[in-house]
Amino acid sequence: MKIVFDQVDKKFGIVYALKDISFEIDQGEFVFLIGNSGAGKSTLLKLILNQLKPTSGKILLGDIDLSNGNKDDVNNTRRKIGVVFQDYQLISDKTIEENIALILDIVNYPKEKIQSRIDKVIKEVNLGTRRFLFPSQLAGGELQRASLARALAIEPEVILADEPTGNLDPENSWNLVKLLKDINKENNTTIIMTTHNNEIVESMGKRVIKINDGEIVKDYNISKKS
Amino acid sequence: MSPLQTTWHHIRRSPFQSLIATTAMFLSFFFISTFIIINSGLSTVLKYFETKPEITLFLKDGLDTATVENLQKDLSSYQGIKEITFISKEKALTIYKEQNKNNPLLTEMVTASILPASFEITVSEPEVLEKIYQNYSTKTNVIDEIIYQKDIITSLLNWTNATRQVGFAIILIIASISFLTMITIIGMKITNRKDEIKISRLLGASSFYVKKPFLLEGIIYGLFGSIFGFLFSFLLALIFQKSINSFFQPITFIDLNVNFYLILLFAEIITGTLLGFIASWIGAKRYIKF
Repeated sequence: MKIVFDQVDKKFGIVYALKDISFEIDQGEFVFLIGNSGAGKSTLLKLILNQLKPTSGKILLGDIDLSNGNKDDVNNTRRKIGVVFQDYQLISDKTIEENIALILDIVNYPKEKIQSRIDKVIKEVNLGTRRFLFPSQLAGGELQRASLARALAIEPEVILADEPTGNLDPENSWNLVKLLKDINKENNTTIIMTTHNNEIVESMGKRVIKINDGEIVKDYNISKKS
Repeated sequence: MSPLQTTWHHIRRSPFQSLIATTAMFLSFFFISTFIIINSGLSTVLKYFETKPEITLFLKDGLDTATVENLQKDLSSYQGIKEITFISKEKALTIYKEQNKNNPLLTEMVTASILPASFEITVSEPEVLEKIYQNYSTKTNVIDEIIYQKDIITSLLNWTNATRQVGFAIILIIASISFLTMITIIGMKITNRKDEIKISRLLGASSFYVKKPFLLEGIIYGLFGSIFGFLFSFLLALIFQKSINSFFQPITFIDLNVNFYLILLFAEIITGTLLGFIASWIGAKRYIKF
C-alpha cells in the first residue's frame, strides 16, 4: 500500500502542526520520522491512521483518499495498519492474548485460525510466558512487545510505530528495532517509525524524514553503518 | 471473544450497575404484569355484573298467578325491554344452591318458601330502567324489593376506569424511570470503557462493532427484567389466588388460565427486549462519539 501526502496542512486553531507536507512512501519501505518533540511526527502518524483529518491537502493510502474517505474506507484502511503506540494502548482488563484476539476479531480473521495466529505472534515477540497476564502485570519492554504482537497479528501492510523505544532500555530498544527490521524484510511490510534515538536511525541505514516545526526539512537515505 | 462473551465480561466488570439496570426493568415488568392481572380480574367483575339482570323486582309472597301474569304483561308494555325472566321460588332455590354449593351449611337450612319470586329484566334502552324503578317502587302491595343494578355497574365502571388510569399512569412513570435508568447505566458503562472503545476504533473496529456488546447488554437486561418481573407477579397471583377469589366470590378474580399467562409472558419478553434494545441504542448513540 503506497502512502502519499500531497501538500497536507494540519492546523489546530491558528497554529500549524504540519505545513505543506508532501512525500510518497512505497510498499515495503522502512522510514524513520525524526524531529524534536512537538515537531509534528505523531500528528503525521495520526493523519495516516485517520485519527485526525487534514485541514487541507490530500492523503492517499493505496487507492483510498483518506481526506474524503467514508467511514467504511477509514475502517478498512485501519485494518491494514498495525500500530505500535508509545503508551502501548493495550486494554487493561484483557490479557495479552485477549488483546491480540480482539484485533483479529475486528479484522474478521477466520475464527478457526485465531488461536494459531496468536501463538505465532506471541512466539515471534517472545512473550510465551506472559500471554495470560494483564498489561498491568508486565514490564515496559514486555508491554511494547505485546503492542507489537498485536500490530503483527493482522499481517498488516503498514506498521506505524510511534516512538516505540521511548520507554525502553537500550537492549530492549535494539531488540525491538531488530524485530521490526526482520518483519520489514521478510513480509515486505512498510514500517514508519518515529524516534529520538539517533544511534538507531544512523545504524539502520534507512530512509529518514526529518520534521521541524511542522515542515519537512530533510528527506534522505543514509548508508548503513558497518 | 464473541460479542456475547464481551457483553458478559462487561456485566461481570460492573455487577452493581448491571443489577440496577435489571432491577429497574424487573420493577417495570412486575408492575405491568400485576396491573394486567388486576385489570383482567376487574374485567371479569364487570362482565359478571353486566351479564346480570339490570333490574330485579322481588315479589311479595302469596301473589296469585293472575297477578303475576298481569305484572309481566305490564312490564312487557314498556318500550326498550330486552328480556323479562320470571324466577319462581323453586328456581330461586336452585340458583341459590348453585351459588353456595361449596358451603353446605348455607344451603341446608334454606327452602323455596323463604326465597322470593322475582322478575329479572334486561333492557336495550337504559332510560326505561329509571321508569320501571319509579313506577314499581310505590307498588308495595305486590313488590317487596327492587334491586337496580345500574348503580352498581356505573360505580364499578367508574372504579375500574379510575384503577386503569391510575395503574396506567404508574406504569408509564415507572417504565420511563427504568428506561432513563437503562440509558444512564449504558452511558456509564460506555464511559468506563471509553479507552477500550477508542483503541478498538483505532484498530479498525466499526461503530457498530463497538456498540454491539452494549446493545446486547440492554437486550439482556430487558429480557431478564421482563422474565423475573412476570415470574414474581405470577408467583404472587398463585399465592394469593385462593384468598382473593374467596373475597370476590362467586367471581373468579384471578383465573390461572395457562394461555393468558403464556401470552402475557411472551408479550412482556418481546416488550422487555425491545425496550432494552432501544434504551441501549439511545445510550450508545448518545455516548459513543468516537
